[in-house]
Amino acid sequence: MSDGHETWLKQIDAELDGELSLVERAALAKHLATCSHCSGARASQLEVRVAVARSAGDPHARVVPRPIIRGRALAFWVVVAIALGVAGGWLAHGRWGGPGGSLEDSRAAIVVH
Amino acid sequence: MLGAAASLAAAALQGPGTRVTYRVRVVEQGDRELARGAVSGPAGTDLRFALKTDSADIEALFQIVPQGDTVIVAAEFFTKRLAGRSRRGLALWEQDSYRRGVRLAWGDTARVHLFGRPRGGSRLWLELVLERGFSGGEGRPAEELQVVDAASDIRLEAVVRPRRARVILNLVRADTVSGPRGFDLVPDAPARRVQLAMAGRRTNLEIALTRPEPSPSARDRVLALDAEVVCLRVVAPPPSPDVAQPVGVVCGRLNDVARRLPLPGGDTLVATFAWPSGR
Repeated sequence: MSDGHETWLKQIDAELDGELSLVERAALAKHLATCSHCSGARASQLEVRVAVARSAGDPHARVVPRPIIRGRALAFWVVVAIALGVAGGWLAHGRWGGPGGSLEDSRAAIVVH
Repeated sequence: MLGAAASLAAAALQGPGTRVTYRVRVVEQGDRELARGAVSGPAGTDLRFALKTDSADIEALFQIVPQGDTVIVAAEFFTKRLAGRSRRGLALWEQDSYRRGVRLAWGDTARVHLFGRPRGGSRLWLELVLERGFSGGEGRPAEELQVVDAASDIRLEAVVRPRRARVILNLVRADTVSGPRGFDLVPDAPARRVQLAMAGRRTNLEIALTRPEPSPSARDRVLALDAEVVCLRVVAPPPSPDVAQPVGVVCGRLNDVARRLPLPGGDTLVATFAWPSGR
């Protein structure tokens, strides 16, 4: 019984996301008409989506709006990632070293004065 | 190869009374002198230099090949540099060995940039001046070093390959020891027959002095760490002219330390190697 509800709850999620075929929607509607538990769950899911749409500034949305990545935020996180990479590289080089420059440059040289 | 060339050139240098001097200064950026010293010795003397810091070990063997009024300086380097640390916190070292050579006039200064060719200022270098003069009867090598900065670990050593060696032989059996017999031997010369007597019994041996086999260690080869090692090959004289009976080989430095070689009859041959007298 519990497994059956789990399956129907997943179907409710998929229906609200517009991912079900007509046949699946018909089967779900038939089940909701007889199952107060699942119909209550569907109402709760809808309320959650309404709240999310409101918080995203679009209370009349037909589906839950996807989060929008703004240019500034993107630039900020790119800069943070680069800074973390540089700092990590610097620390790792200090701890484990790196390939260094050319081998020949590091070898002794004799110059006559 | 280079060592052989240096030996030949040294033999042909300016005759037996010539003495070669390497004058050395170790200088840090800003012309701050860390150490100064000199190594001198008969023709054929090489200079072994070592500098150790927290992040690098530099060791080098300088050899010279005189050519008229000029001299070719050949240096073999063996270096270790701290490359970083392992994930377990252990030091990781890069090891390198290479050769450098330059030709200069006697008395000129060669500047050896130990950490590579200078680009906007080298941080540490070695100034090397080569001089030659008459030995005045002084045949022994000499070393002097004044370290100005006590934090620096710097060494200068004279490296001389023996042309002769004093070999002192004893026979030992239990508590009985024969009287010592000394021989001046030349490396790679033909074997020599010797007779040792102990408790009224005489033992005949053929002995020959040779150079040791090249060391398996690259560092030992590059820095000629076995330059003063000789080996004594001992052969029991054949009972018939065709059959030789090798007894063994004993190798060691010319440092007056006794080394033992068991003989087939139950005796032990004790050999001591030393520099020849008058050196």
